[in-house]
Amino acid sequence: MKPCKNQAFTLVEILVVCGIVSVFLGTAILLFTNFRRGYSRSEGTAVLLQDGALFIARLRTDLNNAVIAPDSSGGAPTQLSATLDQLSFMVYSSREAKTMPVVYRYLAAENGGSIFRREGSEKERELIKDRVASLTWQTALERFLEPENTGSGTVRLSIGLDIQLKMRSGDEKPFTLKTSIFPARLNRQLNSP
Amino acid sequence: MLEIVFSIGILALIMLPVFMTFSTGNRNIQLTDAEFRAHTAAIELMEQIVSLPFGKITSGEYDSNAIVDGGQFADGPILYKIATADELWRTMKIEDVKRDGKVLFKKITVTIKYAAAPGSDRIREFFMKTLVANETL
Repeated sequence: MKPCKNQAFTLVEILVVCGIVSVFLGTAILLFTNFRRGYSRSEGTAVLLQDGALFIARLRTDLNNAVIAPDSSGGAPTQLSATLDQLSFMVYSSREAKTMPVVYRYLAAENGGSIFRREGSEKERELIKDRVASLTWQTALERFLEPENTGSGTVRLSIGLDIQLKMRSGDEKPFTLKTSIFPARLNRQLNSP
Repeated sequence: MLEIVFSIGILALIMLPVFMTFSTGNRNIQLTDAEFRAHTAAIELMEQIVSLPFGKITSGEYDSNAIVDGGQFADGPILYKIATADELWRTMKIEDVKRDGKVLFKKITVTIKYAAAPGSDRIREFFMKTLVANETL
């Protein structure tokens, strides 16, 4: 039997294959690394968006149920009270069939602040933890008079909200939102004759 | 060598849809962000109209040039309060819902047009409707 001498790969063949494999692997690793970075950034962005959306929805629902009512001590009827770190108002609870105070508290911190909410005598709950880069809430009471009107005109109460959420790592796109909320019940009460 | 090259080619083809799925996921997150901003803009406009006394809600069609921060609502004394938003356009339609000659409701339709992603040419549309009851009847 005649031995075959041409069965093995030549050095050039092996080098070419190694080169092609390296290029493919290099590209795959690069793509995967980029994807990993993009994925974690997108995941963080989605988490921030979800946190922000839930907070805004919660606050909007509460403010839409806000009413002018005496506080628990039976004092003078109050509308809204806003300070740098606290927003409080009375809401009408259909479930309890009575008004109760709702308090939002912002605890600023260098590495990310937190937002808490308390309703009635319930325990304070954390809405956003360590992700608030900045938050301002400002109440504005406007009065619009008709040119020939001598009456009180139309009153509009609104809360200007400016919030920025950020992850600790800081790679993610921060969530920023600036909007106004117009409490419907409160405005109706303010404009009722 | 041919076998190896072919196998790598097949592997690359298999990996392609995987990476495409990732980029689609990323695009969807961008779209969700744009949708959320459109939704917020619609509620902001809707709420300020709903908060007005029924008599002050003037029927008509209002385009994006009229709905600007500080602009007059229905050429009256009430001014819009609108947060600035890029690549987002608002229009509003207010109609009377009548029965026996009386206006029972105002039907408010807010339409928001927005770019699907920052700088994108693809424009999406979102609308929101509500009814305001005439409480003075």
